[in-house]
Amino acid sequence: MGNINQIFNTARDAILANLTAMNVTSSNIANVNTPGYSTLRPDFGSTGVFNAASDQQQVGVKITDVERLYDKYLDAQAVEQEQYGGYSQSQLGVLNNVQTIFNESTGNGLNSLLSQFWGAWSSLSASPTDMTERDSLVSISQSLASMFNQKSNELINTQQDLNTEISDDVTQLNGYLAQMADYNNKIVQIQNSGGNPTDLLDKRTQLLQQISNLVGVNYYEEANGALNVYISNGRSLVEGNNVWNLAVQANPSNSNFYDVVFQDTPSQTINSALKGGTIAGLLDARDTKISGYLSSLNTMASTIITQVNALHNSGYDMNGNTGENFFSTATSNAARDMKVDPAIVADVTKIAAGATVSGDGNVASSIADIQNNASLMGSGMTIDNFYESLISRVGQDVQDAQTNSDHQTAVLNEVQNQREAVSGVSLDEEMLNLIKYQAAYNAAGRLCATANTMMDNLINLGIETALTT
Amino acid sequence: MKYDLLYSSISNIQNQNNDLMTKLSSGKEVNEPSDNPLGMGQILDYRSALAQISTYKNNIDSSNAWLSTTESSLSSVNDILTQVKETAVSQASATATASTRQTAADSLQPLIDQILSLANTKVGNSYIFSGTRTDTEPFSATSSAAHIGPAVKAIGDAFDGSVSSGGTYTAGTSNKTYVVKIVSGGAIGAATYEVSEDGGRTWLAGGPQATGATINVGTEGVQLNFTAGTKDFAANDVFTVNAYAQGYYNGNGEELSSEVGSGVNMAYNVTGEAAFTSQGQGTVDIFQRLNDLKTALQNNDTAGINSQLDYLTQASNQITRYTALCGTRENGLNTSSSTLDDMNTRITGLNSNVEDADMAKLITDYQTQQVALQAAYQMAATLTSNSILNFIR
Repeated sequence: MGNINQIFNTARDAILANLTAMNVTSSNIANVNTPGYSTLRPDFGSTGVFNAASDQQQVGVKITDVERLYDKYLDAQAVEQEQYGGYSQSQLGVLNNVQTIFNESTGNGLNSLLSQFWGAWSSLSASPTDMTERDSLVSISQSLASMFNQKSNELINTQQDLNTEISDDVTQLNGYLAQMADYNNKIVQIQNSGGNPTDLLDKRTQLLQQISNLVGVNYYEEANGALNVYISNGRSLVEGNNVWNLAVQANPSNSNFYDVVFQDTPSQTINSALKGGTIAGLLDARDTKISGYLSSLNTMASTIITQVNALHNSGYDMNGNTGENFFSTATSNAARDMKVDPAIVADVTKIAAGATVSGDGNVASSIADIQNNASLMGSGMTIDNFYESLISRVGQDVQDAQTNSDHQTAVLNEVQNQREAVSGVSLDEEMLNLIKYQAAYNAAGRLCATANTMMDNLINLGIETALTT
Repeated sequence: MKYDLLYSSISNIQNQNNDLMTKLSSGKEVNEPSDNPLGMGQILDYRSALAQISTYKNNIDSSNAWLSTTESSLSSVNDILTQVKETAVSQASATATASTRQTAADSLQPLIDQILSLANTKVGNSYIFSGTRTDTEPFSATSSAAHIGPAVKAIGDAFDGSVSSGGTYTAGTSNKTYVVKIVSGGAIGAATYEVSEDGGRTWLAGGPQATGATINVGTEGVQLNFTAGTKDFAANDVFTVNAYAQGYYNGNGEELSSEVGSGVNMAYNVTGEAAFTSQGQGTVDIFQRLNDLKTALQNNDTAGINSQLDYLTQASNQITRYTALCGTRENGLNTSSSTLDDMNTRITGLNSNVEDADMAKLITDYQTQQVALQAAYQMAATLTSNSILNFIR
């Protein structure tokens, strides 16, 4: 035996279910441009058992679940690629800056000054007592020393900028970690009470990618929904709602540049445990690459200073005295501190050009010949060759960083595209779904109206009308 | 998602565009080391080489100037010597009389003065025939006996007492510059010194010796006397004394050289010692012989005049030898110069291959980029107009 009420119930179920579905569709449409939003799909499930013989004569419908479309594997890939991307982007940015410091293409760089320096000694050897030649030599030597100072200082300044940036990034990371713990907290709570915190899950995945961009991480999702995040050596950053912050610690054996440490163990540096991510990229640029360039510059400066001084000391100046130092003695920061000895600047007759007291130019000639000495810098390189190979190295490092960065960008784009294909909102699809749900809603409404009419008929059975009298 | 794809391909093309624009405006293929790391290294190498070539060429030019002045001076000297010889020959014959010889003697002096003036030629502020002592006039008008010049204390010496030279330059056959350098400082008697005979380049064997109030400088009779002042000797204090052999010459026999190629030093001077004296490499003391000739003429000494004739020939040969040497050196320098020019051209070409941009190719690439960019923009426009929303009413 049928029951009109059951029709109402069924219609009600249908209307509510389709209304919910349309709400889900409207959420999707509203969030079509939200980054990291995963499309939601309502799952329709039938309820009830159909048994024609008994009271159970309807199969209702309800929304059993709102499913979040995402691919765990793609998420994991995105997180991993972000760390490589962060690393190579940060390196590329720094190295491009460094490259402009070493810009030789206009021909006014160190290479040209070195040539002028050797040339000035050679000219002096041809006219050893010419005061104009001496003045010119001092002037060029001072320009050379200035350029070494300048390049050295620019490299050191870049290192200090990176230092500040590393500190800022660590602060930013700590902010993210706090947020991650917060999300974990809320997600666990909501899931415990049976809810489905889809937007929090989306936001947490986004956050994880941002964290990975800064620092390469591993992660693990617990059964209760919390996400635990570790760095590569296994130490935790976030577990549930517990956070272990990072901090920076000045390292006196590295010019007081910052090391990255855990806040609770400030004496243990974790620089080498940070693999991938912007912070690791900056650390490598600061401590390996730029330090390397600086050290090469220092080697060049100190070799020039030592070799020129040694020959200069063996010669005689215009006053018959043995030559003093031409350059001030090299310090450990030879390039930054290089300068022509003030005694020479004050009195150019003290330039020792001659090998005898009589006024020849043989020592000047030998000093000019340092340019051709291929045993000074190892591997058969002259000082000029050494600088050329330094520039090549800078260029190669930039090229490598560019290639890596391009590659990472392409891979990341590919992963993002795949994610979009799975989780992204397609307006076309949502429109069609809207039509679908709307039609079902209308049909359910029609069902209601029909049942209503039938109910009316039933209720009005046995009521006198004009026809029955 | 499709908009993202479109955006990334448009920005890709624009980046390549910017790259092309940089190369077009600079005309260079390599604008940064990262454009071509190895190439950049090569370019720097080529630039260094070109700068070196330019230096060598400058040195060649200044050497040439010196050499051509030397050559013309010597050539003029030779002309005068020929004149002198003619006079000598005619006055050596039996037809000459005491008065003709006297006249000849008188006419000889201006010629001797001319030769003296030529021997003291300068280029700029440097005497060309003084060896390395370019600030010293090489020849005096009169001969002096072997003597020792004053001792000179170098300006920067710590020692503030006085120093004087002494002894006689008995054994010396040519001019020498002696240098005494303090090895370890201290008072007179405690400080040690070493001696150089060649102006300070090399030091006599035997190691540092103790100073004293009078010290022997070398083994040829030169001495220095020290009187203490308020400050003691310090290491590297230098004292110089010049010793002169008998004759007219005040310079030395050292050569001046300059770098005209990689590791190639070429001497460009002719010393007065070699060209005009019998010291060192020279064989004839020209001024002595000329003055002897003049004396013989004045004394009506036929035998004397005759004996000078041979010397005059030798003198002429000596001068000619060095005149020819100048010419040879100039030729060598000119050859070097044109070799350097060739190298310059070659290296400039090599540099251009690496550094300069192929404009035709760049412009073609640029056009292609523009087409690609247009296509991308076109696609962006059509994408936005196609959507299911157009069809749902």
